[in-house]
Amino acid sequence: MKTTVVGAYPKISDEHQDLRRALHKLDRGDLDEAGIAGVLDDTTAWAIGEIEAAGVDVINDGQIRWDDLLAPFARAWRNTERGPLERFYDNNTYFRQPVISGPIETDGQTLVADYKKAKALAKRELKAAIAGPLTFATLTAEDKHYKDLEARTFAAADALASELRGLAAAGATLVDVEEPALSAHPELVDLARAAFERLAKAGVSLALYPYFFPNPNLVQSLANFPVAQVGLDVRSREHSADAIDRLGALKQIVVLGVVDARNTRVESAREIGELVDAALKKVGADRLWLSTTTGTEYLPHDVAIKKLNALTDAARVTGGVR
Amino acid sequence: MSEILLTTTVGSFGKPDYLQKARNANARGKLSDAELLDLEKKATEEWIRRQEEIDLDILVDGEMYRGDMVAYFAEKLEGFKIGGLVRSYGNRYYHKPVIASKVSRPKPMTVDWFNYTQSLTDRPVKGMLTGPYTMLDWSYNEAYPTRRDAALALAEVVRQEAEDLDRAGAKYIQIDEPAIHARPEELAIAIEAMGIVTQNLKAKTISHICYGDFAAIYPQVLKLPVDQLDLAMHNYEYRWLELFDKDPFTKELAIGVVDVHSHRLETVDEAAEGIRKGLKYVTADKLLPHPDCGLKTRTVEESLDKCRVVVEAAKKVRAEVGRTAVA
Repeated sequence: MKTTVVGAYPKISDEHQDLRRALHKLDRGDLDEAGIAGVLDDTTAWAIGEIEAAGVDVINDGQIRWDDLLAPFARAWRNTERGPLERFYDNNTYFRQPVISGPIETDGQTLVADYKKAKALAKRELKAAIAGPLTFATLTAEDKHYKDLEARTFAAADALASELRGLAAAGATLVDVEEPALSAHPELVDLARAAFERLAKAGVSLALYPYFFPNPNLVQSLANFPVAQVGLDVRSREHSADAIDRLGALKQIVVLGVVDARNTRVESAREIGELVDAALKKVGADRLWLSTTTGTEYLPHDVAIKKLNALTDAARVTGGVR
Repeated sequence: MSEILLTTTVGSFGKPDYLQKARNANARGKLSDAELLDLEKKATEEWIRRQEEIDLDILVDGEMYRGDMVAYFAEKLEGFKIGGLVRSYGNRYYHKPVIASKVSRPKPMTVDWFNYTQSLTDRPVKGMLTGPYTMLDWSYNEAYPTRRDAALALAEVVRQEAEDLDRAGAKYIQIDEPAIHARPEELAIAIEAMGIVTQNLKAKTISHICYGDFAAIYPQVLKLPVDQLDLAMHNYEYRWLELFDKDPFTKELAIGVVDVHSHRLETVDEAAEGIRKGLKYVTADKLLPHPDCGLKTRTVEESLDKCRVVVEAAKKVRAEVGRTAVA
């Protein structure tokens, strides 16, 4: 039973604030682009080292360069830019809404250099990540080009498929697709699935994470998504664990979000074990991974570490003798 | 003071450099609390004078003594502990509080500041509080079994503070709920909690709401038991006003007419046009122009410029409405 992480890792800790200081210097004109790139590289190495030290089996690069989930794409793609500030779903965290001024175009290289750098640093299996097409399309503030949400979602999916091809060529074998819009708008599940068909054409294994709004009723409809893994939050809300009863409908690997990355109370091994035991009645151990419910950047760094340790400790216990 | 299109601000202003340095020095133990307090009072008085000079009608203390709108209260309430740094956006971080045990208020938290600030001016100064739902939503809850339980417990301590401000003579008490649309399915909890806070107040009550999907909570949010809703509008190109076509707005409306997260300074004409849009839905005696949100992320000069635009725009539209009066 493998453990993994999803989304962004804290960019600073009480002790490690190099990036925060460097960005202030950049704002003041006291640091150039090469200088900030070096600090971003160092911070990425720090994040990867910490995730690995916690014992996580399949890691990511902590998304240290991502201002928000949509930023890398809105910044890099032609005819898109970062627009007004908005709250990111039900978090006290804010993002820049994309603005689309023409057809979305990309060379598919948006994430490649960062992935290669992370790959050189990682000692464990490294996965990449992209934003979900429905999330990009529904969070767009202004669209001067596409006629409706469907057209915008498909355009985002095609651009993201290009990014997936770029990542695959760089060696990525598993890519998370972070798609909170799917749990926020379950009524758009058919549109999301059609968009994922476009992503699947890139030929790389995908892991779907519809985090933030766990919805047991959504589980069955995820069975037909062309993805290798489905990540489900079974921890963060009162009825989240109800999703476990529906896991039998899924054919993909289930990544069970057993550690709440949006609350500081650290789960006990017993609490995690109960969720895992229930899931094992529906899914074989060979198809079950464990993860945080979403990115640990929603936690202070010290708690993020504790949560990752809780995750890996529980995996050791549940995977072995209890 | 004008009697229509009263101008105001949402609460915070940019801190002067000397205060920012003093806060940093205090955090490092290099400056005493008493020395910091003196500088906070100095900065507060400077902001009162600036607001008077600009000719704003309803003033705020500028929150020179606060870092964050939740952490400030969390530090003074029992039951909270202050967590580590969490990023809010870009390179901005805050200490997100943790509700670690049952909350209680050992003593008033803002009344001394209200009394001090009001003593500096004849113009009304708003009492400024953070609402119970936002306190909950922007904290980690480790203590209460449900979010409703936590929100109602926080409502009780906010009520105590609001009633103390009321007794101190605050004519306006603002209880901010910027997180109210975080989970629209919990709007009833926010309304129930606000009812506890405002039930006994004589002051005019206001709630500031910003940066979220206002459409998801409208028109139900009209049941929030306050007299005035204070809304970010400019950032949304005034699209929330269209909601009022179907379900008329029934409260006073404080309308945001300049963006607080942009260095760009709006023109007076732009802001005036925003006020005119608001006048289609709310009469001039119930419409209060202001910046979209607190100005703490702007420099002192940027804050001043944005406020000047609001005031000049209000004067321009008052002249059009033709009822400028001096109280």
